[in-house]
Amino acid sequence: MSAPTKMLSVENLNLSFGGIKAVDQVSFHIFENELLGLIGPNGAGKTTVFNMISGFYRADSGTIKLREDVINEYSPDKVNKAGIARTFQNIRLFGELTVVENVLLAMQQTETLGWIESLFRTKSYRDKEKALYDRSVELLKIFSLDHLAEEFSRNLPYGLQRKLEIVRALATKPKLLILDEPAAGMNHQETEDLKKLIHFVKQKFNLTVLLIEHDMKLIMSICERIVVLNRGIKIAEGLPSEIKANTSVIEAYLGKRS
Amino acid sequence: MNFVAKNKLLFFFISFVAVGVICQFALNSYIQALVVSFMINAIMALSLNFITGVANQFSLGQAGFMALGAYTSAVLTKVFLADQWYFIPLTALAGAVVATVAGYLVALPSFKLRGDYLAIVTMGFAEIVRVLFLNWNFVGGPRGYNGVVKWPEFLISYGFTGLALFLTFMVLYHLKISWFGRNLWALNEDEIAAEVMGTPIAKNKRFAFLFSAFFAGLGGALYGHHLGYFSPASFGFLMSVQILIFAVLGGLGSMSGSILAAGILTALPEILRSLPTGGLDIRMIVFPILLILLMILRPQGLLGRKELF
Ligand SMILES: Nc1ncnc2c1ncn2[C@@H]1O[C@H](COP(=O)(O)OP(=O)(O)OP(=O)(O)O)[C@@H](O)[C@H]1O
Ligand SMILES: [Mg+2]
Repeated sequence: MSAPTKMLSVENLNLSFGGIKAVDQVSFHIFENELLGLIGPNGAGKTTVFNMISGFYRADSGTIKLREDVINEYSPDKVNKAGIARTFQNIRLFGELTVVENVLLAMQQTETLGWIESLFRTKSYRDKEKALYDRSVELLKIFSLDHLAEEFSRNLPYGLQRKLEIVRALATKPKLLILDEPAAGMNHQETEDLKKLIHFVKQKFNLTVLLIEHDMKLIMSICERIVVLNRGIKIAEGLPSEIKANTSVIEAYLGKRS
Repeated sequence: MNFVAKNKLLFFFISFVAVGVICQFALNSYIQALVVSFMINAIMALSLNFITGVANQFSLGQAGFMALGAYTSAVLTKVFLADQWYFIPLTALAGAVVATVAGYLVALPSFKLRGDYLAIVTMGFAEIVRVLFLNWNFVGGPRGYNGVVKWPEFLISYGFTGLALFLTFMVLYHLKISWFGRNLWALNEDEIAAEVMGTPIAKNKRFAFLFSAFFAGLGGALYGHHLGYFSPASFGFLMSVQILIFAVLGGLGSMSGSILAAGILTALPEILRSLPTGGLDIRMIVFPILLILLMILRPQGLLGRKELF
């Protein structure tokens, strides 16, 4: 068997905010179809890494490669078009849009819809809109959200908002899905459901997944490999069993024993 | 949902003709002029509502685009077209195009940054435009531009201004309910989330701004030919604010709301003026009170984001 291809490689990434080095010489990679966990205590720099990957922050130095393309300088919309979709630590749905409109908005970015046809609202344009709408509802149906299609997304219960955010990300047809603490604020049952959901979308949409999570049980049970950050520095990388036994990881989480 | 439904269009057309006929034969020229003013106000309100209501980009420079449209159209008819009124539709379009070009120059740097920066830039832009005309003696400088060609007849003025309003409404309403409008709603609510979904937000804002400038220019051109006279002072900060009030009253994001509000706010001062108050100008009292009440009771405006139909 040939070596697996890397979907994403992060090399020597650095970013400081004023005096704080939020990310310090971080390198890691994700293989195609892998599920990689990124963990670390609060303020470790996990979200900052995500924000650099998704184009919101410019790295002070280092490179981010999606397959062979260097994407450091991409704007967030270009990163998305290149094949990376993400969710947020704090849910960021369009609350004043309906559930289906949230998905539609994401899905329409992958289409070419013209100016003239929408100005005149031609038959062919209305057909395109209808087709997009139907496809959005279909996608919602896969996640049993189709009965809520016409609800305002702000009216959804918390767990379903998290789910919708993932569906919306999928609507942009990503190759790599990055999830920032999807289990935050979820109870045990919801977390179990989320676990199944992540497995499911990974298979169904043939995805590579990068996951930030604080829920250790979730991380240990679904990730194939784990990268650990602490104070901006990568302190460990390996299989879940290796990470569990790693002393510097235990120290980072529990504090050094004197 | 689909406004192109033919019977609705027919209904609007018949009502439009009926109102025109009534104005022509049953009402005096004062009311006639007021009706045309209302339609111009509605065009201005729509132009602002699109950029501020739908796209959530706070523009305080609508009067600047209006001035560019007014001066462009007036100069063209006077200098090149021998003051023939039937060129007005063409020169008004030219005025709209000039405003759009100016809009492009303003938009280029403005939408690289986020936040309320745009309000300041657009305000500055309108002020620059005003001062330029103030110092341009060829168009009268501070004395204003006299003898701008007017429409020869009420019904002609009514017809063309109505047509312009119809175009403005149809274009902006159709954009609002299209993919483009959806992009704008999304970035209106959360620019970061919209961008992550692959929406090129700067480009979308820029386009929204161009449409807004175009119709503001068109409204300005019609304003000039309706009154036959205007000066740089006509397009001061107060004008921008007045247009903003129209859009806010009708509901930011509601296109029919803007037309409704333009109707109410064009008629109201005249109704108040006609009340017997013993020489006291109660307009200046009633008007602000009504606005304050509205802000308290219905901050989202009369229609919110919804449409009348
Ligand atoms: N925009 C910013 N400006 C200044 N400092 C920032 C900014 N974003 C992050 N930081 C700082 O960078 C460090 C890393 O923050 P980051 O949000 O990446 O942590 P995290 O690992 O995601 O933590 P958590 O688990 O709490 O979400 C923190 O010290 C944070 O205060
Ligand atoms: Mg975080």
